[in-house]
Amino acid sequence: MLRIRDLRTSVEGKEILKGIDLEVKAGEVHAVMGPNGSGKSTLAHVLAGRDGYQVTGGDVEFLGQDLLDLEVEERAHKGLFLAMQYPVELPGVNNLTFLRESLNAVRRARGEEEMDAVGFMKLVRRKADEVKLDHKLLKRSVNAGFSGGEKKRNEILQMAMLEPRLAILDETDSGLDIDALRTVADGVNMMRSPERALIVVTHYQRLLEYIEPDHLHVLAGGRIVHSGGKELAFELEERGYGWLLEENAA
Amino acid sequence: MTLQSQAVSDFQKATQHYIAGLPLDRGAWLTDHRWSAVTRFSDLGFPDKRQEAWRYTSIEGLLKQGFVTSDSDMEVVGTEFEHHFLDGPTAGRVVFVDGAFQPSLSDTHVPGVRINNLRSAMETSDLETLKSVGTLSGPGTHGFSALNMATMRDGALIRVSAGLRLDAPIDLVSISTSSASGRAMRPRHLIVLEQDAEATLVERYLSTSDNAYFTNLVCEVLLEERASLVHQRVQQESPSAYHLADLHIELQADASYRGVNLAIGGAWSRTKIGNSFAAPGASCELHGLYLAGEGQLVDFHLDVDHGVPGCDSRENFRGILYGNGRAVFDGRILVQKQAQKSSAHLSNANLMLSRRAEIDTKPQLEILADDVMCSHGTTVGQIDPQALFYLRSRGLSEERARRLLCLGFASEILEQFESGSLQDHLAELIQQKIGSETKGAS
Repeated sequence: MLRIRDLRTSVEGKEILKGIDLEVKAGEVHAVMGPNGSGKSTLAHVLAGRDGYQVTGGDVEFLGQDLLDLEVEERAHKGLFLAMQYPVELPGVNNLTFLRESLNAVRRARGEEEMDAVGFMKLVRRKADEVKLDHKLLKRSVNAGFSGGEKKRNEILQMAMLEPRLAILDETDSGLDIDALRTVADGVNMMRSPERALIVVTHYQRLLEYIEPDHLHVLAGGRIVHSGGKELAFELEERGYGWLLEENAA
Repeated sequence: MTLQSQAVSDFQKATQHYIAGLPLDRGAWLTDHRWSAVTRFSDLGFPDKRQEAWRYTSIEGLLKQGFVTSDSDMEVVGTEFEHHFLDGPTAGRVVFVDGAFQPSLSDTHVPGVRINNLRSAMETSDLETLKSVGTLSGPGTHGFSALNMATMRDGALIRVSAGLRLDAPIDLVSISTSSASGRAMRPRHLIVLEQDAEATLVERYLSTSDNAYFTNLVCEVLLEERASLVHQRVQQESPSAYHLADLHIELQADASYRGVNLAIGGAWSRTKIGNSFAAPGASCELHGLYLAGEGQLVDFHLDVDHGVPGCDSRENFRGILYGNGRAVFDGRILVQKQAQKSSAHLSNANLMLSRRAEIDTKPQLEILADDVMCSHGTTVGQIDPQALFYLRSRGLSEERARRLLCLGFASEILEQFESGSLQDHLAELIQQKIGSETKGAS
């Protein structure tokens, strides 16, 4: 589904990603871990097409297409979804309007019919229940004045509505208490399917107790320095990243 | 002779000619008012850029258009304008087409509300109604408002009886057709709410053509003790039109006024809103949204005068500018020495969609009392790239994302137009207007 080859990316002339290779197949869940400043968020952003990241080398293939050639919204239309670490507050933009516009934009791009108001409301209520998002928040402005947990749930709701082929969760666990974390993880687990892949970017292994990855990669200094199965998470918890960094340097 | 002084002398002659041509039976008693306004006009002349209040707003283009003071006697029957009426129940409707009152399109029979029009009040010498005309505006605060007084022809006269609460809005709509082309219209409205009355007035200026014409409007609002008015105003003139509005508001003790203004049409528009608190305990809220695009100028001047203690004022205006659109916002609040326990807050935010757009924003707080709560804030910003990315990452096109963010910016003001269908209609108008402009705006 996703093949990243020797991806190199600079921000303001400074190279952050120094050659990433990663292959993600449908049905798989990959976790990307690593210390601060290792390039985890840069990887997530560059895949979603955010401005300010200059790809200096390598390529990314998503569902047989050159991903880096696509506009931000085209990536979303193809089925890429980025759950953000810091969801943006949009004062004055109604959450329901936003969700509906978003869903219909993606549906149109897929050649499906737009969803009518009744069908949409049914769907959004059901999905909001699934991610335990208070229905009152649907009527408010997008993320405006939401708590940290509410913002993250709203991200998971968007993901559940758009049903992407590949979802990247960028530090979705940061700033969450244990209950919110569990809700978010449940929401993510519901999305697991043989047709869908997930990349979970996280700083802490805590989230991986709830979302079990098939593969785990450690990113450090802009490179994947180690890959393994889910058991790697526990090793990282006990030993930290130090041994991997040393091993890699050696 | 300069353009201005030539214009003053031309206008003076034309105005004298106009007044001399009025039939004596048509409100002859007002002739004195008219002549004193002519004198006032001669004294004031036209405003120019040397005056601070007109520094950023040139009237040269307006004078060059050479709009003619003439009247339409057209009386419209039929349904062609019905789609411009407010949706839902109304407590009266007053319709003007090309400046002339339209009896068959209007609904003036509302128990407890006296709805009349200036022309018929003058024709019938209805002194009781007419005596309040001009009490707030005087003979004119600048040349144009003096000309309005000198040549006023028609307008809405609305008086809501003491204690009456209207639960539906009064629809006051002025429609300009292609016959208005090249003409100067001088509407003058007077709205009086007696003690404890409550009403909503929706006042709109629309056009069915793209022609150039001039609306030179004066509107006076008198709120007696504890009266409460929600005043929703929409300026949606033809894209070539000139629109000048002077709004005077007076609040007696414990009265409350909440106004919301949308300026979206016209090539050139200026709205001046002045309020004065006549007694303590009153509150005045002014909200506004202006849009200015290619070739457009929109100007708002607020003049809030706290002359007595214990009154509240709040002004919240937002602007969206694109193309080479220009806007002027001048918000003045004066808290006089005796006006202790005043509360006055002013905010103006502007969203610039283009580098060629221009805003001159000037909040002015003059506070002479020492026991007051006052604040002001002004911002000029652009669309947040993070917000744009967020929306696009959810599949929205850049154009759609920009529109949604603009509407989001406007929503705080639009919400003040309480009726859902009016809000939706205005939101749609805004989207249409900025739609093509936001495409690849730079």
